[in-house]
Amino acid sequence: MKLLTLFHSTRAAGWLLLPLLLGACSTGQLVVRGTQAILDSGIESMNRETDLQLARAAMPANLKLLEGMLIEDPGNHTLRLYAAEGFHGYSYGFIEAEDRARAAALYRRCYDHAVLALQQDGLTLDPAGASTEALHAAAAKLGERAVPALFWTASCLGKWIDLNRDSVAGIAGLGNAAALMERVLELDDSFYHGGPNLFFGVYYGGRSPLLGGDFARAEQHFRRAAEINGGKLLLVDLLQAEYLYRQQLDRAAFHQTLTAILAAAPDSYPEMALVNAVARQRAGVLLQHEDEWF
Amino acid sequence: MVLTMNSALRLLAILLFALLPGAAALHAAPVYELKFATLAPDGTTWVKLLQEWADTVKTESQGRLVFKIYPGGVQGDEPDVLRKIRFGQLHGGAFTGYGIGHIYSPARILELPFLYNDIHEIDYVRERLQPEIEQGYRDNGYELLGWMEVGYVYFFSKQPIAKFDDLKQRRIWYWQGDPLGKAFFDASGLSPVPLSIIDVYTSLSTGMIDTVYAPPLGAIALQWFAKTRYITNVPMANGIGSLVVSRKFFRDLPQDLQKLLKRSGAETGAKLVAANRKDNEESMRLLTERGMVLVEGSDDLKSDSIRAMSNRAAHTLMDSGYLPPATVGRVQDWLREYRAAGAGADGAH
Repeated sequence: MKLLTLFHSTRAAGWLLLPLLLGACSTGQLVVRGTQAILDSGIESMNRETDLQLARAAMPANLKLLEGMLIEDPGNHTLRLYAAEGFHGYSYGFIEAEDRARAAALYRRCYDHAVLALQQDGLTLDPAGASTEALHAAAAKLGERAVPALFWTASCLGKWIDLNRDSVAGIAGLGNAAALMERVLELDDSFYHGGPNLFFGVYYGGRSPLLGGDFARAEQHFRRAAEINGGKLLLVDLLQAEYLYRQQLDRAAFHQTLTAILAAAPDSYPEMALVNAVARQRAGVLLQHEDEWF
Repeated sequence: MVLTMNSALRLLAILLFALLPGAAALHAAPVYELKFATLAPDGTTWVKLLQEWADTVKTESQGRLVFKIYPGGVQGDEPDVLRKIRFGQLHGGAFTGYGIGHIYSPARILELPFLYNDIHEIDYVRERLQPEIEQGYRDNGYELLGWMEVGYVYFFSKQPIAKFDDLKQRRIWYWQGDPLGKAFFDASGLSPVPLSIIDVYTSLSTGMIDTVYAPPLGAIALQWFAKTRYITNVPMANGIGSLVVSRKFFRDLPQDLQKLLKRSGAETGAKLVAANRKDNEESMRLLTERGMVLVEGSDDLKSDSIRAMSNRAAHTLMDSGYLPPATVGRVQDWLREYRAAGAGADGAH
């Protein structure tokens, strides 16, 4: 009896508290937060997708849904990062090869989302405009919680710069993207399938040593990224061919690596099947440029 | 029988067609491929303009002359590219003063530090020197297609440099192996640190050097600006550049393609100069916006003593044969002539 009374009174207290909670969170926010688990599963399912056409058709609706949810719940850190990841993936996987201007605009959107998450993690500086030195110092104060936001901010800024190499402001921001990613490398170099290592593989491999490239360091980072993924993530090989082998003018390695990617089994890494499918498609595109580049 | 007749007619038609002069030209017109290298990274304004040049040439030559552009230094730095041109692996490239020094060093009189008061003086001298430069390139196995510039070079430093004495306290980088830089620093009595350009960024981080010189766009592209805080607002020299092709490749071209390459190369050079001036202006604005401090140099960085230093450097370069005395003499005469006419009075850079 006592137990029952206690149960009833607790429930009553719960009902009483509910209006207060509702006052803090809008209905929309509650719905958004309630659906987060479904989103997690949706992302997992998308990563496992092997049909590129289906993924390409499905992603825009999901991205708009995410942005809609963010209107309801603008301070949702997790959703911000999902949006950043989604725009980055959609632009890289489906847009960049055919429309660089549009891809750059999508990377910019990715960056805008990631920066808002990074602000919540405590970075108050403007990552694109601040001095590299100041940004370095500010990033050094951030801990592990900031890793995802640091990673997506640096990745999206890096890609935006890559597609805007004729912009002086863009080129000037490259050191800042690297400063943020260096912090990720220190905190967790295996984050997002070794993403920080891929970033620095491209960063050092895609430029002549005269302009700051360092082929030995690039190789080291690509090797580490491959190790983290057990050699199953084809994106590692793809980026090594696209940036490092092209910069080294190593036609044989370029050709061999991309041909091997094309021949890889589609189900070799089920958890990252979509990225691998994108890598295979891109390998085909890059091979078409072989005569032009070498 | 009908089949045999048809075959015979077809064969005849093919034979006749092949004998027509127009048809022969259509089939036999050789395609010339110009392999062209540049240090400028793919996607930059420079490479976009070079690509535009390539497209123009391809269209106007109806596909008889095509470019294969190697951007981003994939073919190595400038001396590597020149070596590959000599071996016939490449045919041309875009070069800065450093590479031009290996082609025809007297052209570098145009970027001798503190010799000119402004860009108008440089333009005046270059116009007069151009035939000599073209002939010099030709004599050394290259054809000059277009003239360009890298932009005004400034000091970038960790500590402010306002007067000449400040330079004595600094650990200044100089591009190892560059006779012009060496002569300038020797004449100044400064002891710079010779380093390959590859090691500059790291050496700025470790403190081995604390002062570098570059055009604003170069300081951004090389990220040196991130390691320095001050820019001395005294332009030292306007870095030169050239679009060149090997004489052998050029000589082998039919006359119409030679003309096309020269004309379009000169146009591209002019476009590169304009784009580069704009990018350098924007770079300077951006650098100050990002917190770099522009230090106004005192008079001793612009005075006669600096001129005297420039003269001493010119003498060293004449003694070593890098600059012919006759060329230096002519340039000095032109400058006197220009200044006497009062045309250089505006002093604008």
